[in-house]
Amino acid sequence: MRRSILLATTAGLALTLAACGGDATTDETTSAAPEETGTSAPAAAGTLTVWVDETRIDAFNNLSEEFVAETGVSLDVVQKPSGDIRPDFVAQAPTGEGPDLVVGAHDWVGEFVANGVVQPVELGDKMGDFTEAAVNGFMYDGQLYGVPYSIENIALVRNNALATETPATFDELIAAKPAEAEYPILIQQGDAGDAYHLYPIQTSFGAPVFNTDDTGSYTSEIGMGGDAGAAFANYLVTMADAGAVNASIGGDQAKQAFLDGKSPYIITGPWWTGDFVDAGLDISVLPVPSAGGEPSAPFVGVQGIYLSSQSENALLANQFLDWVATPDVQFKLYEFAGRTPAMTEAADQVDDEILAGFGEAGAQGLPMPAIPEMGSVWSFWGQTQINIINGDVDDPAAAWNTMIENIEAAF
Amino acid sequence: MATKTPKVQAPVLEGANDVRLKGGRWWGKVGWKHVLAVFIIAYAIFPLLYVLSASLSPGGTLTGSARLFSEISLVNYSELMDGRFPKWMLNSLVVSSASAIGTVVMGAAAAYAFSRFRFSGRRGGLTALLIIQMFPQMLAFVAIFLLLLTLGDVFPQLGIGSHLALIAVYLGGALGANTFLMYGFFNTIPRDLDEAAKIDGATHAQIFWGMIMRLVTPILAVVGLLSFVSTYGEFILARIVLNRPDTYTLAVGLYVWASDERNAPWSLFAAGAVIAAIPIIALFIYLQKYIVAGLTAGSVKG
Amino acid sequence: MSVTTEAPKRVEEPRLSHARDISRPGFIVKLILMALINALGLYGILAAWAQDSMGVVAFLVVALIAANWVYFSKRAVPAKYLYPGLVFLAVYQLYVMGNTAFVAFTNYGDGHNSTKAAAIEQILKTSDRRIDGSSTYPVAVVGQGADLGFAVVRDGEVQLGTMDEPLAPVAGEVDGDRVAAVEGWEILSIAEIQQQQNEVLGLRVSLSEEPADGWLRTDNGSLAYVARSTLSYDEAADTFTNDEGKVFSADPDRGLFAAEDGEELVPGWRVLVGFENFAKMFTDSRLSGPFFQILVWTFAFAILSVATTFALGLFIAVIFNDPLVKGRRFYRAMFILPYAFPGFLAALVWKGMLNKEFGIINETLLGGADINWLGDGNLAKLAILGVNLWLGFPYMFLITTGALQSIPGELHEAGVMDGAGPWRRFRSITFPLLLVSVAPLLIASFAFNFNNFSLIYMLTGGGPNFPGAPVVIGETDILISMVYAVAFESGVKQYGLASALSILIFVMVGAISWLGFRQTRKLEEIL
Repeated sequence: MRRSILLATTAGLALTLAACGGDATTDETTSAAPEETGTSAPAAAGTLTVWVDETRIDAFNNLSEEFVAETGVSLDVVQKPSGDIRPDFVAQAPTGEGPDLVVGAHDWVGEFVANGVVQPVELGDKMGDFTEAAVNGFMYDGQLYGVPYSIENIALVRNNALATETPATFDELIAAKPAEAEYPILIQQGDAGDAYHLYPIQTSFGAPVFNTDDTGSYTSEIGMGGDAGAAFANYLVTMADAGAVNASIGGDQAKQAFLDGKSPYIITGPWWTGDFVDAGLDISVLPVPSAGGEPSAPFVGVQGIYLSSQSENALLANQFLDWVATPDVQFKLYEFAGRTPAMTEAADQVDDEILAGFGEAGAQGLPMPAIPEMGSVWSFWGQTQINIINGDVDDPAAAWNTMIENIEAAF
Repeated sequence: MATKTPKVQAPVLEGANDVRLKGGRWWGKVGWKHVLAVFIIAYAIFPLLYVLSASLSPGGTLTGSARLFSEISLVNYSELMDGRFPKWMLNSLVVSSASAIGTVVMGAAAAYAFSRFRFSGRRGGLTALLIIQMFPQMLAFVAIFLLLLTLGDVFPQLGIGSHLALIAVYLGGALGANTFLMYGFFNTIPRDLDEAAKIDGATHAQIFWGMIMRLVTPILAVVGLLSFVSTYGEFILARIVLNRPDTYTLAVGLYVWASDERNAPWSLFAAGAVIAAIPIIALFIYLQKYIVAGLTAGSVKG
Repeated sequence: MSVTTEAPKRVEEPRLSHARDISRPGFIVKLILMALINALGLYGILAAWAQDSMGVVAFLVVALIAANWVYFSKRAVPAKYLYPGLVFLAVYQLYVMGNTAFVAFTNYGDGHNSTKAAAIEQILKTSDRRIDGSSTYPVAVVGQGADLGFAVVRDGEVQLGTMDEPLAPVAGEVDGDRVAAVEGWEILSIAEIQQQQNEVLGLRVSLSEEPADGWLRTDNGSLAYVARSTLSYDEAADTFTNDEGKVFSADPDRGLFAAEDGEELVPGWRVLVGFENFAKMFTDSRLSGPFFQILVWTFAFAILSVATTFALGLFIAVIFNDPLVKGRRFYRAMFILPYAFPGFLAALVWKGMLNKEFGIINETLLGGADINWLGDGNLAKLAILGVNLWLGFPYMFLITTGALQSIPGELHEAGVMDGAGPWRRFRSITFPLLLVSVAPLLIASFAFNFNNFSLIYMLTGGGPNFPGAPVVIGETDILISMVYAVAFESGVKQYGLASALSILIFVMVGAISWLGFRQTRKLEEIL
């Protein structure tokens, strides 16, 4: 036994020495992530790793070309699936394997800060150059945690072939359903509900999800209870009876129905208007008519770039963020991504009727709450709305109150 | 309902039979089976027609409307070929084939050991293997990620982003239900054959590689196919291991397309799914002759 | 079948065991393979040692020694066949299980994401914040030898400071509000700043002798702002103190810094919490309430799934086992089509087809019916079973076809000769033999469906939810999807809790399966 083992180990050692002679080989896959340290080249050089999801990959690839042309620092833009980018970042940043920058929506800030994976960004005086909603979206505990670059919200989209005038109240809109249309309006739901698309109507009853304090930031006090909430809950039944909401109509179905001309109105965001225009529809974008007396205020979603707290290139990353916080780059991002820029100066330069319509609809809107308590709200919220819409509850107001109790118990 | 097995159960070639059934007897014995097959095919294919229909329509949603085949165009397929899809297909074929081969070899070896040798822990071992595979994989992603990070520091080829690493993860599941399937089949091969070979001077390895493996080709083909299919459609673990779109397998690529909340490219996705199914069907058709060959009378009787 | 004795024992023992007979070609192959493996192993040990990765080192050492012993020893024959599979199993399955078990005893999740040191560092980082309304200065980072400093234009003159010295006027040139040159110091270029970026980012230059005035810091090397820290860390006492004197002390049981009035600092860190996660299944009323109902449905779903798919798969396999049916190859290829498509695709498509208003099942097949497939509790359960049947029957068809081949023909012949009709033959010969070889697979399929998270999640998301329930779960939720909803969808991700609940589920399903296996072994013995 010993002789063969000796033989094998000698052969093994020989091979080992041969292997150790060369360096550890790289991946067999095509592109390994390039090294991230700055070099001693005369101009600034280095690489920043940015995670984006598939909706932004093109925009940021284009942006990286501009950035490297201007500064010599390259961006390694890595595409991650949109559902994974948040949990992966939180899980990977502490191991050191995370990116330097993450591009995403503002309502992730609460989660990121709670997990200690992002660091504050100091823009100095430039903070005032952004729209208030944009900056507020990325503020947490008095500090700014990312650089916003675009804002978006939902609004009422009208198919001008089926309707040319929009009444001032929601009741009138439902009543004005043309004969050839199957639905007065399309508001996507799905079997788990979609509170986001119903929010403009909810706020028109004066029932925001959380109350805000005088600085405009959210408190952890639920604002959709009481009479306002009850009124909205009861109105859901009216809407369901009129065919305005339906659990069978999810996103897919709503979009298809609007394309097929089954309804003159749909509540949706700028992500689909492009498809509508491409399909040849003549559309207008308007604020959602009020149902409860107050102006309708949809959630404003702010897109921006976060800085990882574990980044080893924080200096370079901050230089990049500084560069993004200029009107030129904000406008460029608008050209690449098609959303209203977050910086006022750049937003003023945008000449797009449809985006202007969205802007008007969102003028009263507040950013989606990024406080940790918000995470406990979504599933109860949508679920209760669907239960009311389906007629599974006898007393909508009571079900609404139960929902609020459950949410508060989950804090 | 009576199941029919023919009187002569020694199938030699497909369909060849001395008795030619005609007319009413044919219908009574065989014809109704064809009718049944049509119904079963309709049942199996129906949702897939949906996918096919979506793949042939230039734009829109997957299931937004109930109309099938409202528009026919091949634009989605050509668009697929321009993107990363062919690369994904190649990646999938490589990863799944390697996993399948590894699973078959290691599984057959283990099944041979369990079937032919008596050692302590044999019975318990087989049960343990089956039970270990029942661990909910839902949370594996955190552990696998950390494991691959650690391994990747030592062996870069086994780290995050590498196909070899993914194959290794899949091979972790090689000993499991598939082994048991093969074990059952191995048990039906009489020990007399082993004894005869040993008397002729063969070693256990020679018996295994030379004789047994040839006799068990049907089950090897089945397990190979099952393993191929399960790794082909697996995206939960693959998503963690493969972090760059170029390295994605088909399952991950399609999943990423489908998980876009707002603008999922459903037509592309449908076209991709149709093309992705082709290798599996082709593989199955190729392996069919092994799966159904069965043991010939000669080898059984020694 | 004959019972053998110890397999490798022979009538005559050759002088040299084949395990070490160098003259056989098989041995050369083995030698080469083992040499390669030893080479790789040694390389790995060295590399891991260099990385200080002791776990990997230990594992590799043990594995290598075991490999050499197994393959060069005369004994351990079964091990030779089992070893590679077991190695992969150990690394990619057992380790993962062990890791999950470890996490189950911690509070890993949102807010407790990393180590204590990282938490302290992060708290310090975020508490070092700009003083509201203070000025910002274009800054030049200057260096003198190994020292770094900031030079800014303040009150019209150049002022410079370092880590140890507060800002003080120095001689230099001013260019608008920028510093053009400083006597005795060199202004660093961007590249040089990047090379020392950690030092530059960590540099704090006090504005004056008074610490309350704050300090200058820069994030990007070109703009400096005045900041101060709202929290200070006392390492000896392990506490943070804020401006108003509130003291936050480390709570090792919960993994956070907390003050006496309950205010907590963010983030916290991961700590071991013992059996707390396991106990939650029984003590948290939100979980224990619907638990029983969900348990019953989970069992029902798993058992019915196996039963229906097996029945249909077997039925089709037996019918088409008939060589008289021409075109069997084509039919078989068609039958397994559902198996050829990714599972989540099938779930998505079925979900759309079962849509109450737009789905093709209601609209076309049932002629405009309005059946609420996914919205009604019982119908949703039926829908799940139906979709699982569609997904699962090809697999059962495959394995039963394979298993049918292994039933020796002469048994059938014997049955025919004894005058048994086809059904009797099936019941007494085919089916029992089939069951023996396939039963453990049925048990494995039971276990798979017990944990079939993705189907439930993609098709119904847990199904019509119980109105007003404190946790968002519904009528088609199985245990594992309930765990997912509780641990991940209630706002705060709790990996520790999810791991503990997964382990409980594993223990449950494992115990049941083990009992099932014992039964089938008895069955095997009878036959």
